Amino acid sequence: MELLDRYLQAVRKHLPWQRQDDIIAELRANLEAQLEEKESELGRPLTSAEMEDWLKQLGLPMQMAAHYRPQQFLIGPTLFPIYRNVLKIALTWATVIYCITRAIVLVTGTPHMVDFVQILAQAPGFLFGVVAWVTLVFAVLEYLIAHQMVQIPALCPPSGAWSPAGLPPLDPTANGVVKPKSFATAIAESIFGFFWLIWLLLVPAHPYLMLGPGTAYVSSLPYKLAPIWVPVYWCLVACGVLQLAWNLIDLARGSYQRPHPAMGVAYKSLAFIPMTVLLTARDHALVLLKNPAADQARLGASLDGINKTAGMSVACVFVVLAVVLGVEIVQWILNSRRRRAAASH
Amino acid sequence: MTIAENLFENLRLELRRGCLTLAVLAQLRQERYGYTLRKALADDGLVIDESTLYPLLRRLETQGLLASEWREEEKRNKRFYRLTADGEQMFTKLLGEWNAINASVLKTLDASPNENSKANL
Repeated sequence: MELLDRYLQAVRKHLPWQRQDDIIAELRANLEAQLEEKESELGRPLTSAEMEDWLKQLGLPMQMAAHYRPQQFLIGPTLFPIYRNVLKIALTWATVIYCITRAIVLVTGTPHMVDFVQILAQAPGFLFGVVAWVTLVFAVLEYLIAHQMVQIPALCPPSGAWSPAGLPPLDPTANGVVKPKSFATAIAESIFGFFWLIWLLLVPAHPYLMLGPGTAYVSSLPYKLAPIWVPVYWCLVACGVLQLAWNLIDLARGSYQRPHPAMGVAYKSLAFIPMTVLLTARDHALVLLKNPAADQARLGASLDGINKTAGMSVACVFVVLAVVLGVEIVQWILNSRRRRAAASH
Repeated sequence: MTIAENLFENLRLELRRGCLTLAVLAQLRQERYGYTLRKALADDGLVIDESTLYPLLRRLETQGLLASEWREEEKRNKRFYRLTADGEQMFTKLLGEWNAINASVLKTLDASPNENSKANL
């Protein structure tokens, strides 16, 4: 009997406090009746080992008590799909906002490798905080709804309250199914890529090809581009050559209709090289004065402003591109998995 | 336990879950306390764990389908349960639903070309 008392005491610890006495009294009455019957069948009291076996069959005290609790989950099946969607959106925006704010901090200060590492190391903690807050809010909502303290029809609309006509239109790129590229488009892309490359190679010697009539005005400005733009320019040329080569290889192999998605991802990844070069420019100097000795005192402040704005713009583009690339990579992986799963069935 | 055994156990528990409530309501047309109810169900071939049955009684009482009272029997205080009027109505409805499901499943099995399914019944 002592073991039974100890079992009931352990169960009591995990019961809702308002009903502990009542539940334990009922459980005790039922279990004692069961024990008495077992003992009368055997004609003797249960041995310690038999008693232990019997109590083991009843289950862990915590599990026994858990069945008396009305709510066994933090977020129930009705709220869970909404929770998952909100979590996805919150994490996406949190990542974007984190990247932008940290990029601004980096650009406005003097970035070192340590700063990059610190930002990367802090990111999981920040995102974990977002997950924790969203989960907490939904757990509270679930509790309030389960205890009928609030009713939020917008969160859990009755099944008749939605219309299929309100569903978003079909996405032609869903499931990775993209309309095949025509031969004419592939040829046009290659021709355009070739002329774009020629144009890019001519621009340094003939800036009017890019600036048009504004060339004279830009030439008259007391500013010039910093030498950091030279490697950036050659990176752009290299990207153009690579893109053109890919297009021509696709055409030659006849695979232009469905170019490998990895190529698109790899090509976009190359864009990070020139941007990283710009972001790591010494003193963020993207623009310089033509005659610093003469103009520094007069135009130094505006030059700083130009460089800060230019640096911030490059950082923003970097972040946006990183997000777009991240999404594309995730979509590519998901589509590959989906195709593999479909093929295996 | 293998994956197949585990899957079977999960599906079996899912299948039983709804039936248990119906069986408990059926038994409690006659007043009983927890342990005698468990024995009666086991005698009819439906063995239920204590940790499932006793909390289920509490839930059904909270939902207004059962009423209970403490009473002394054989020198021990016991909590006796019985169906309320709402509980009886609910039982009748659930029984109708159960019969309909049962009939549908049997009809499907009769129409099934797989004779093994029928043979296993």
